[in-house]
Amino acid sequence: MKAIEIENLNKIYNNRVQALSDVSFYVSEGEVFGLVGPDGGGKSTIFNILATLLLPTSGQASVLSRDVVNDAKIIRQLIGYLPGVFSLYPDLTVEENLIFFATMYKSRIKDNLPLIRPIWKQLVPFKDRRAGKLSGGMKQKLALCCALIHKPALLLLDEPTTGVDPVSRAEFWDILTNIQKQGITVLVSTPYMDEATRCDRIALIQEGKIIKIDTPTNIMEAYRGFLYTIKVENVFSVMEKLKEFDFPCNYYPYGQELHIAFYEAPEIVLQKFCSFLREQNIKFEELSPIQPTIEDCFIELVKLK
Amino acid sequence: MRELLMILRKEFIHIWRDRITLLLVLALPIVLVLFFGFTISTEIKNAKISVLDLSNDSKSKILLNKIAASNYFQIVSYPNSESEIDFDFKNKNIKLAIIIPSNFENKLEVEKKATIQVISDVSDINVASVLNSYFRVIINDFLNENYVTNSEAATFEVITQMLYNPEMKSVYMFVPGIIALIMIIVTALMTSITLAREKETGSMRMLLITPVKKVYIIIGKIIPYMLLSFICTLLIIIISVWVFNMPVEGNLAFLLFLCFVFMLTSASFGMIISALVRTQLDAMMVTMMGLFLPTVLLSGFLFPLDNMPQLFQALAHFFPAKWFIIAIKDVMIKGSGFMEIWKYLLILFIMACILITISLIRIDKKE
Amino acid sequence: MYSIVVENLIKKYNHFVAVDNISFKVKRGEIFGFLGANGAGKTTTIKMLCGLLQPTSGNATVAGYDLKKDYKSIKKNIGYMSQRFSLYEDLTLYENMQLFGTVYGIPRKILKERIYESLDSLQMTEKANSLVYSIPLGWKQKLAFATAMLHHPQIVFLDEPTSGVDPIVRREFWNMLYETANKGVTIFVTTHYMDEAEYCEKISMMSDGQLKLIGTPSELKSKMNVDSIAELFQKIVNR
Repeated sequence: MKAIEIENLNKIYNNRVQALSDVSFYVSEGEVFGLVGPDGGGKSTIFNILATLLLPTSGQASVLSRDVVNDAKIIRQLIGYLPGVFSLYPDLTVEENLIFFATMYKSRIKDNLPLIRPIWKQLVPFKDRRAGKLSGGMKQKLALCCALIHKPALLLLDEPTTGVDPVSRAEFWDILTNIQKQGITVLVSTPYMDEATRCDRIALIQEGKIIKIDTPTNIMEAYRGFLYTIKVENVFSVMEKLKEFDFPCNYYPYGQELHIAFYEAPEIVLQKFCSFLREQNIKFEELSPIQPTIEDCFIELVKLK
Repeated sequence: MRELLMILRKEFIHIWRDRITLLLVLALPIVLVLFFGFTISTEIKNAKISVLDLSNDSKSKILLNKIAASNYFQIVSYPNSESEIDFDFKNKNIKLAIIIPSNFENKLEVEKKATIQVISDVSDINVASVLNSYFRVIINDFLNENYVTNSEAATFEVITQMLYNPEMKSVYMFVPGIIALIMIIVTALMTSITLAREKETGSMRMLLITPVKKVYIIIGKIIPYMLLSFICTLLIIIISVWVFNMPVEGNLAFLLFLCFVFMLTSASFGMIISALVRTQLDAMMVTMMGLFLPTVLLSGFLFPLDNMPQLFQALAHFFPAKWFIIAIKDVMIKGSGFMEIWKYLLILFIMACILITISLIRIDKKE
Repeated sequence: MYSIVVENLIKKYNHFVAVDNISFKVKRGEIFGFLGANGAGKTTTIKMLCGLLQPTSGNATVAGYDLKKDYKSIKKNIGYMSQRFSLYEDLTLYENMQLFGTVYGIPRKILKERIYESLDSLQMTEKANSLVYSIPLGWKQKLAFATAMLHHPQIVFLDEPTSGVDPIVRREFWNMLYETANKGVTIFVTTHYMDEAEYCEKISMMSDGQLKLIGTPSELKSKMNVDSIAELFQKIVNR
């Protein structure tokens, strides 16, 4: 069974701004599915439609086999939703917030405590602190508790890790893996490409269009370029000189290194490249192939369009 | 039901933890009543007047003493001719001049009719009419005291406006207005601002996405601010009775019931405003311009409606404050009961019902 | 030559020590990555270095000026850009630049030239009279950076400048940073993207108000025996 099915979804705001164009994808039950792409790409619009807070302009969307337009009331009881911005009550304490949302779902904290226990344990020392005074990572954990307190079948997480430091982010993803083990389907969005590898499948999305759907491994394997790293003394001056190198390639600075992607048989281009560097009198060491990241794939896919 | 209680509890926590707002809300009625009571007042004291006494007999002396003894007038000059009165108006800033005819005593006792000429400075029409009224009161007193049996000698009649407020005490006029204002501020403004805040911070979305009934969300928002507003109203009534001797002629419970209905109407206005706006700032601006200002200007509280152009008089019908102020004045001053003011109650109630219904539909409206 | 010299800087709020005795130096023209967990004291440090907050004790010189005596001169010689607020959405690109340029006291004629110069290099000249609201987020961040550079500051402080920006623009943005640094402007940047930390010439890591590490990315990686800055971060913050 599919937890989410979306077909040819379009959303146009005020008859002007096309936020989504012909978006189609499905999420299987028990999957962690990631919507990966920059801000303004339409991720939040998809979440709002699935959470029955927004009507699609055209197309079909169903959540747990129920239509988002006609069965909004039923859907709302079955999903947990974490919006992109902190939306709990900042002047209520941690515990008060949790009790409040539990009551709204007609459930009690103790009924679903096992589900949230690993997260709640970390929050207990702060339970009397006002939610507004928590750190970014803690706020997200509290919001997650509130979204899980009625044991939803599907969890919608809209950019849960934006602005959160890398350590808390890694921790948050561990928690998601745990939630998945409890049989809850997760749809999560993120602008951090490196987080994509934590999902079972991802959809790369930009400007309201889905440009690729697959497992992270498949996406990285489908990378068509050849990526190399090269260590040079002055990255910037080398980049200036590379403008004259006339084989198709993409390069960007990576600290004291330069990453460069070639799109043709590497043996020939590499030779040309090395002789070009020598001609230009550029000293270098360590010219070696590297694995592409999801970000490299994203850039390639966008540029190929 | 547990959900509703929880929403109420949450709302009370909001109110309680925002101490500054809470203090302001509670201080406002006290400050307003005391401020209006002691400063802005249509009572005029020690107005300067001139007296041209052409008879100079015992009765005219009694009358003049009476005038001088009142707090309202201060005789600043005794001109010798009418032309000097003119001079006084121009140079001594007098508001009123009185000319007592010659043979005053004789005319009163023999002819049973005497004419006192009163010349007013009508550049400020309100002041002039108030002073005229004061003067009539003094004349009547004078006649009553001196010619109890000869009532036909009365030169003036007691006018009807002064029936319920013989000293024209302004406190009676503004207390109902202040109650209306405070209730608009506390119920309409606070309801619309806090609802808009929930929209702004996103917690409204969190609430809407839960299975909780929309009606609970609305009731949960209205009740706490109605309660707060109720406390304010009680404060206003207590202060006005205690400090300014304001009468409460009607039944107190009925008076509070009337306030309750008006609060419901105000709160429903707050709901509808917050349904139309996106931010707290907008909610505040719309409530101020759309509800607070009309309450000040069009309710008949500071500016009599009868003197306004037809358009404004018609416009005033659409704001709840006008009906409430008529009703509460009747209850407080005349002692009216349900039979006399049911019409106004009904209007307020219908307004509330319509607006709450629209809010319920609007609250979950999706783009 | 150093742009920023920090010596034993401490900031206390009542009994809470937000910044606990940190010292470091940043070279002129360096891209300096300032990393740390949320609440580690990064924002407090930046505020002090920008002259917005007085330290409890310790001292620092920024752009050659003393933090305690000369914070007004510091403000004139630094640029600042934050992810949270950068530009007024309801003003046009030109109006925004004009506003911020004027605030820094750039004479009208020179300002006009500089604005068109930087719009040209951003390839946004055509959009000069469009509202900021109407341009994509990535453009906004690039524009905000150009605006922060209008008065030719010696140092720019960038607080999570690329949060949520698409990867292509993110790389273009970093190219802009390299270009700017190459001209001798010091870049002081915070980020939650660990790959961006690798882009920096030098990085430092803060945790619990203390400066735990400072050095070039490759130095630190080999010293701590890790493969990436992300791992390094994990190690430091979890300790």
